[in-house]
Amino acid sequence: MAKQTFTTGQVLTAAQMTSLQQTAMAGGAASAKTASYTLVAADAGSAISMSNASATTITVNTALFAAGDTVYITNLGAGVCTITAGTATVNTSASLALAQYESGYLDFTSTSAAIFVKGAGAAAASGGMTLLSTTSLSGTATTISSISGSYKNLQVIVRNLSFTSGSTLNISSNITNSTWIRTNNAVTYSRSQTSIALNDGATGQGNNTTSAFSMNIYDYAVTSAHKTFDIRLGYNTDRFVMASGFWQSNSALTSLTFTGDGVDTFNGGSVLIYGVN
Amino acid sequence: MTKPIIRIHNQETNEVIDREMNDVEFAQYQSNQAAQAIAKAEAEAKAKAKADLLAKLGITTEEAALLLS
Repeated sequence: MAKQTFTTGQVLTAAQMTSLQQTAMAGGAASAKTASYTLVAADAGSAISMSNASATTITVNTALFAAGDTVYITNLGAGVCTITAGTATVNTSASLALAQYESGYLDFTSTSAAIFVKGAGAAAASGGMTLLSTTSLSGTATTISSISGSYKNLQVIVRNLSFTSGSTLNISSNITNSTWIRTNNAVTYSRSQTSIALNDGATGQGNNTTSAFSMNIYDYAVTSAHKTFDIRLGYNTDRFVMASGFWQSNSALTSLTFTGDGVDTFNGGSVLIYGVN
Repeated sequence: MTKPIIRIHNQETNEVIDREMNDVEFAQYQSNQAAQAIAKAEAEAKAKAKADLLAKLGITTEEAALLLS
């Protein structure tokens, strides 16, 4: 609820208690705006949402708020919403611009100054990476399922991979048809494969711990194109593999499975999946 | 007979399940094992044939590579 001045003996209504609870849960009374807006004193302790396809501003003036007051601001619209210092001073360590689905709050340090604390957006609209999951490799196969489809590309980082014996890392997905070229001490072209085999033509990763390596998967969630990937992997003392190719399907990629030739057991390692916009 | 364990991490719910392979997965696992055993035997046979030929010719691997370069 907006900031109130309570008096001795005042009886709070259920609606007031509900609103106070909402504020305590870092929400605040909702105040929806569809055009540029200048904050007023009653906005203290409230949550303002902006929704406009074009750029908007939230203007902050002096002599309306006290030290300790806060105002939450969320941008729901496609247009950037910018927190603008009117007569007040507004500082931030980040940006005063809120892209769609980004939010932050103004923390007033005096009647004439505020700090804008920007939070992470639900999904970066453009640029930026979001860590979606961290998975410890275990058993004979490890699958990461229900991968979020909210991003343009995926970056997969594998760290400290090792097997119990001399296997090669194989990566597959819910899309069972892949074509790839692998370059190492020889060039290998393979088509219509069920998995991507990452050895140098002879020797797999075995029980040696690999260096961290990355895999990029482009347009993984679209349903109108194949899914291109590239991988670079160094391991043992002198082995290096580069592979690129694509999954030949218009279906969205929703899962990734890691195995050691489909028979070995993981001895360690973890997979970090980032969503990239 | 105990079947191998696999891990499934649901990214949406962050739930991690470790379970035994089901029958279909285990059949694929056994197929992979058989294929790997064949590939290993073929690689060993090829390496032995190569070593036998080098011994018959009385040259080293480096000398053979030089001949073919």
